[in-house]
Amino acid sequence: MKSLGKIEFYWGALIAITLFNTFLGEQFESSALVSVLVALTVMYKGLMVIDHFMELRHAHKYLRLMMRFYLIFFPSLIILTAFF
Amino acid sequence: MPGHIPIWVGILSELTEFGIFFVAYFIAKYNYPEAFSLGPKSVSTFAGVLNTLILLTSSYFMAKAMINIRVDNRLKSERYLWLTFGCGCWYLVVKTAEFYWNHQQGFSTNTSEFFTIYYYMTFNHFLHVGWAACAILWVIFRLRKGAYSAKQHSGLEALAMYWHMIDLMWILIFPLLYVLR
Repeated sequence: MKSLGKIEFYWGALIAITLFNTFLGEQFESSALVSVLVALTVMYKGLMVIDHFMELRHAHKYLRLMMRFYLIFFPSLIILTAFF
Repeated sequence: MPGHIPIWVGILSELTEFGIFFVAYFIAKYNYPEAFSLGPKSVSTFAGVLNTLILLTSSYFMAKAMINIRVDNRLKSERYLWLTFGCGCWYLVVKTAEFYWNHQQGFSTNTSEFFTIYYYMTFNHFLHVGWAACAILWVIFRLRKGAYSAKQHSGLEALAMYWHMIDLMWILIFPLLYVLR
Protein backbone atom coordinates (compact mmCIF):
# COMPACT_ATOMS: atom_id res chain seq x y z
CA MET A 1 0.00 0.00 0.00
CA LYS A 2 1.17 3.51 -0.79
CA SER A 3 2.17 5.55 2.25
CA LEU A 4 -0.41 8.19 3.10
CA GLY A 5 2.06 11.11 3.01
CA LYS A 6 3.29 10.45 -0.53
CA ILE A 7 -0.04 10.89 -2.26
CA GLU A 8 -0.57 14.27 -0.57
CA PHE A 9 2.83 15.33 -1.90
CA TYR A 10 1.88 14.38 -5.49
CA TRP A 11 -1.45 16.20 -5.17
CA GLY A 12 0.35 19.34 -3.91
CA ALA A 13 2.89 19.10 -6.75
CA LEU A 14 0.12 18.78 -9.36
CA ILE A 15 -1.64 21.87 -7.96
CA ALA A 16 1.64 23.84 -7.91
CA ILE A 17 2.46 22.89 -11.53
CA THR A 18 -1.05 23.90 -12.65
CA LEU A 19 -0.67 27.33 -11.03
CA PHE A 20 2.83 27.70 -12.51
CA ASN A 21 1.49 26.90 -16.01
CA THR A 22 -1.29 29.46 -15.59
CA PHE A 23 1.23 32.07 -14.41
CA LEU A 24 3.35 31.40 -17.52
CA GLY A 25 0.36 31.78 -19.82
CA GLU A 26 -0.89 34.95 -18.12
CA GLN A 27 2.39 36.80 -17.55
CA PHE A 28 4.37 36.08 -20.68
CA GLU A 29 3.62 36.62 -24.32
CA SER A 30 3.33 33.38 -26.25
CA SER A 31 6.81 32.17 -27.12
CA ALA A 32 8.51 28.92 -28.03
CA LEU A 33 10.04 28.79 -24.53
CA VAL A 34 6.63 29.13 -22.82
CA SER A 35 5.18 26.42 -25.09
CA VAL A 36 8.07 24.05 -24.35
CA LEU A 37 7.80 24.67 -20.59
CA VAL A 38 4.02 24.15 -20.63
CA ALA A 39 4.37 20.96 -22.73
CA LEU A 40 7.02 19.50 -20.40
CA THR A 41 5.00 20.27 -17.27
CA VAL A 42 1.86 18.77 -18.84
CA MET A 43 3.84 15.59 -19.63
CA TYR A 44 5.11 15.48 -16.07
CA LYS A 45 1.61 15.96 -14.62
CA GLY A 46 0.24 13.19 -16.83
CA LEU A 47 3.01 10.78 -15.86
CA MET A 48 2.46 11.57 -12.17
CA VAL A 49 -1.25 10.76 -12.43
CA ILE A 50 -0.51 7.55 -14.36
CA ASP A 51 2.10 6.29 -11.90
CA HIS A 52 0.84 7.54 -8.54
CA PHE A 53 -2.95 7.97 -8.82
CA MET A 54 -3.77 5.25 -11.35
CA GLU A 55 -0.90 3.20 -9.89
CA LEU A 56 0.04 1.76 -13.28
CA ARG A 57 3.68 1.45 -12.18
CA HIS A 58 2.93 -2.09 -11.11
CA ALA A 59 0.42 -2.85 -13.88
CA HIS A 60 1.09 -4.70 -17.15
CA LYS A 61 4.04 -2.98 -18.82
CA TYR A 62 2.26 -2.47 -22.17
CA LEU A 63 -0.69 -0.81 -20.45
CA ARG A 64 1.62 1.61 -18.66
CA LEU A 65 3.67 2.15 -21.84
CA MET A 66 0.55 2.96 -23.85
CA MET A 67 -0.68 5.48 -21.30
CA ARG A 68 2.76 7.07 -20.99
CA PHE A 69 3.10 7.26 -24.78
CA TYR A 70 -0.26 9.07 -25.03
CA LEU A 71 0.74 11.63 -22.38
CA ILE A 72 4.11 12.20 -24.07
CA PHE A 73 2.88 12.24 -27.68
CA PHE A 74 0.18 14.95 -27.42
CA PRO A 75 2.20 17.45 -25.34
CA SER A 76 5.05 16.89 -27.86
CA LEU A 77 2.72 18.28 -30.52
CA ILE A 78 2.58 21.52 -28.47
CA ILE A 79 6.36 21.79 -28.87
CA LEU A 80 6.10 21.00 -32.59
CA THR A 81 3.45 23.68 -33.19
CA ALA A 82 5.64 26.22 -31.37
CA PHE A 83 8.29 25.86 -34.05
CA PHE A 84 6.20 25.34 -37.19
CA MET B 1 -4.36 -5.23 -14.48
CA PRO B 2 -6.10 -2.56 -12.36
CA GLY B 3 -9.90 -2.70 -12.74
CA HIS B 4 -10.91 -5.25 -15.37
CA ILE B 5 -10.65 -5.73 -19.14
CA PRO B 6 -14.05 -4.17 -20.11
CA ILE B 7 -13.16 -0.87 -18.40
CA TRP B 8 -9.85 -0.76 -20.29
CA VAL B 9 -11.68 -1.34 -23.57
CA GLY B 10 -13.85 1.64 -22.60
CA ILE B 11 -10.83 3.73 -21.59
CA LEU B 12 -9.04 2.94 -24.88
CA SER B 13 -12.15 4.00 -26.82
CA GLU B 14 -12.28 7.27 -24.88
CA LEU B 15 -8.56 7.89 -25.42
CA THR B 16 -9.09 7.37 -29.15
CA GLU B 17 -12.05 9.77 -29.16
CA PHE B 18 -10.14 12.49 -27.31
CA GLY B 19 -7.05 11.75 -29.44
CA ILE B 20 -9.11 12.68 -32.52
CA PHE B 21 -10.15 15.93 -30.78
CA PHE B 22 -6.50 16.75 -30.04
CA VAL B 23 -5.44 16.06 -33.63
CA ALA B 24 -8.34 18.28 -34.83
CA TYR B 25 -7.14 21.02 -32.44
CA PHE B 26 -3.57 20.96 -33.78
CA ILE B 27 -4.71 20.91 -37.43
CA ALA B 28 -7.09 23.83 -36.80
CA LYS B 29 -4.44 25.75 -34.86
CA TYR B 30 -1.95 25.30 -37.71
CA ASN B 31 -4.49 26.59 -40.25
CA TYR B 32 -6.03 29.40 -38.14
CA PRO B 33 -3.22 30.69 -35.89
CA GLU B 34 -4.90 34.06 -35.27
CA ALA B 35 -8.16 32.53 -33.98
CA PHE B 36 -6.16 30.26 -31.67
CA SER B 37 -4.07 33.16 -30.41
CA LEU B 38 -7.11 35.32 -29.57
CA GLY B 39 -9.39 32.49 -28.36
CA PRO B 40 -7.69 31.62 -25.04
CA LYS B 41 -7.63 35.34 -24.16
CA SER B 42 -11.43 35.46 -24.54
CA VAL B 43 -12.36 32.49 -22.33
CA SER B 44 -12.39 32.59 -18.53
CA THR B 45 -8.94 31.50 -17.32
CA PHE B 46 -10.25 31.57 -13.74
CA ALA B 47 -12.93 28.97 -14.55
CA GLY B 48 -10.36 26.81 -16.37
CA VAL B 49 -7.89 26.93 -13.46
CA LEU B 50 -10.63 26.33 -10.89
CA ASN B 51 -11.87 23.26 -12.75
CA THR B 52 -8.31 21.93 -13.09
CA LEU B 53 -7.79 22.25 -9.33
CA ILE B 54 -11.18 20.62 -8.68
CA LEU B 55 -10.44 17.64 -10.95
CA LEU B 56 -6.91 17.13 -9.56
CA THR B 57 -8.38 17.16 -6.06
CA SER B 58 -11.09 14.71 -7.12
CA SER B 59 -8.38 12.35 -8.41
CA TYR B 60 -6.62 12.63 -5.06
CA PHE B 61 -9.86 11.76 -3.24
CA MET B 62 -10.42 8.81 -5.56
CA ALA B 63 -6.89 7.53 -4.88
CA LYS B 64 -7.62 7.84 -1.14
CA ALA B 65 -10.86 5.85 -1.59
CA MET B 66 -8.76 3.08 -3.18
CA ILE B 67 -6.15 3.20 -0.40
CA ASN B 68 -8.90 2.82 2.20
CA ILE B 69 -10.75 -0.05 0.54
CA ARG B 70 -7.46 -1.97 0.38
CA VAL B 71 -7.29 -1.90 4.18
CA ASP B 72 -11.01 -2.77 4.42
CA ASN B 73 -11.93 0.67 5.74
CA ARG B 74 -15.24 0.91 3.88
CA LEU B 75 -16.52 3.88 5.82
CA LYS B 76 -13.53 6.05 4.92
CA SER B 77 -13.56 4.76 1.37
CA GLU B 78 -17.21 5.83 1.06
CA ARG B 79 -16.42 9.27 2.50
CA TYR B 80 -13.72 9.81 -0.10
CA LEU B 81 -16.07 8.66 -2.85
CA TRP B 82 -18.61 11.27 -1.69
CA LEU B 83 -15.86 13.90 -1.77
CA THR B 84 -14.96 12.82 -5.31
CA PHE B 85 -18.63 13.02 -6.28
CA GLY B 86 -18.80 16.50 -4.73
CA CYS B 87 -15.80 17.60 -6.81
CA GLY B 88 -17.46 16.20 -9.94
CA CYS B 89 -20.61 18.22 -9.17
CA TRP B 90 -18.56 21.37 -8.56
CA TYR B 91 -16.81 20.86 -11.88
CA LEU B 92 -20.18 20.65 -13.63
CA VAL B 93 -21.44 23.81 -11.85
CA VAL B 94 -18.28 25.80 -12.73
CA LYS B 95 -18.39 24.59 -16.34
CA THR B 96 -22.08 25.46 -16.67
CA ALA B 97 -21.36 28.95 -15.27
CA GLU B 98 -18.49 29.27 -17.75
CA PHE B 99 -20.73 28.30 -20.68
CA TYR B 100 -23.32 30.82 -19.45
CA TRP B 101 -20.64 33.55 -19.12
CA ASN B 102 -19.46 32.75 -22.68
CA HIS B 103 -23.05 33.08 -23.88
CA GLN B 104 -23.33 36.48 -22.15
CA GLN B 105 -20.17 37.60 -23.96
CA GLY B 106 -21.71 36.52 -27.25
CA PHE B 107 -19.45 33.52 -27.83
CA SER B 108 -20.85 30.46 -29.56
CA THR B 109 -19.63 27.50 -31.61
CA ASN B 110 -19.64 29.73 -34.70
CA THR B 111 -17.64 32.62 -33.23
CA SER B 112 -14.33 31.29 -34.57
CA GLU B 113 -12.53 28.04 -35.35
CA PHE B 114 -11.10 28.19 -31.81
CA PHE B 115 -14.58 28.28 -30.26
CA THR B 116 -15.77 25.39 -32.44
CA ILE B 117 -12.96 23.24 -31.06
CA TYR B 118 -13.38 24.70 -27.55
CA TYR B 119 -17.08 23.72 -27.36
CA TYR B 120 -16.44 20.38 -29.07
CA MET B 121 -13.81 19.40 -26.49
CA THR B 122 -15.20 20.96 -23.32
CA PHE B 123 -18.82 19.90 -23.79
CA ASN B 124 -17.70 16.34 -24.54
CA HIS B 125 -15.53 16.35 -21.43
CA PHE B 126 -18.46 17.80 -19.46
CA LEU B 127 -20.61 14.82 -20.48
CA HIS B 128 -17.89 12.38 -19.41
CA VAL B 129 -17.63 13.97 -15.96
CA GLY B 130 -21.45 13.88 -15.70
CA TRP B 131 -21.88 10.17 -16.36
CA ALA B 132 -18.77 9.23 -14.35
CA ALA B 133 -20.28 11.16 -11.39
CA CYS B 134 -23.44 9.02 -11.78
CA ALA B 135 -21.18 5.92 -11.78
CA ILE B 136 -19.70 7.09 -8.45
CA LEU B 137 -23.22 7.05 -6.95
CA TRP B 138 -23.70 3.49 -8.21
CA VAL B 139 -20.35 2.39 -6.70
CA ILE B 140 -21.25 4.03 -3.37
CA PHE B 141 -24.54 2.09 -3.43
CA ARG B 142 -22.64 -1.17 -4.10
CA LEU B 143 -20.07 -0.35 -1.42
CA ARG B 144 -22.86 0.16 1.14
CA LYS B 145 -24.33 -3.20 0.11
CA GLY B 146 -20.98 -4.80 0.99
CA ALA B 147 -19.94 -5.61 -2.57
CA TYR B 148 -16.38 -4.35 -2.10
CA SER B 149 -13.73 -5.39 0.39
CA ALA B 150 -9.95 -5.47 0.72
CA LYS B 151 -9.94 -8.70 -1.30
CA GLN B 152 -12.56 -7.87 -3.93
CA HIS B 153 -12.84 -4.32 -5.20
CA SER B 154 -12.36 -4.55 -8.96
CA GLY B 155 -15.57 -2.57 -9.61
CA LEU B 156 -14.36 0.33 -7.47
CA GLU B 157 -10.93 0.11 -9.10
CA ALA B 158 -12.50 0.20 -12.57
CA LEU B 159 -14.34 3.40 -11.64
CA ALA B 160 -11.09 4.86 -10.25
CA MET B 161 -9.28 4.10 -13.54
CA TYR B 162 -12.06 5.78 -15.55
CA TRP B 163 -12.14 8.83 -13.26
CA HIS B 164 -8.36 9.28 -13.47
CA MET B 165 -8.60 8.97 -17.28
CA ILE B 166 -11.10 11.87 -17.31
CA ASP B 167 -8.69 13.89 -15.16
CA LEU B 168 -5.85 13.08 -17.59
CA MET B 169 -7.90 14.33 -20.53
CA TRP B 170 -8.53 17.62 -18.71
CA ILE B 171 -4.79 17.89 -17.93
CA LEU B 172 -4.29 17.91 -21.73
CA ILE B 173 -7.29 20.12 -22.58
CA PHE B 174 -6.51 22.87 -20.02
CA PRO B 175 -3.22 24.18 -21.52
CA LEU B 176 -4.53 23.87 -25.09
CA LEU B 177 -7.65 26.00 -24.52
CA TYR B 178 -6.72 28.29 -21.61
CA VAL B 179 -2.93 28.72 -21.40
CA LEU B 180 -1.26 28.59 -24.82
CA ARG B 181 -1.87 31.68 -26.93
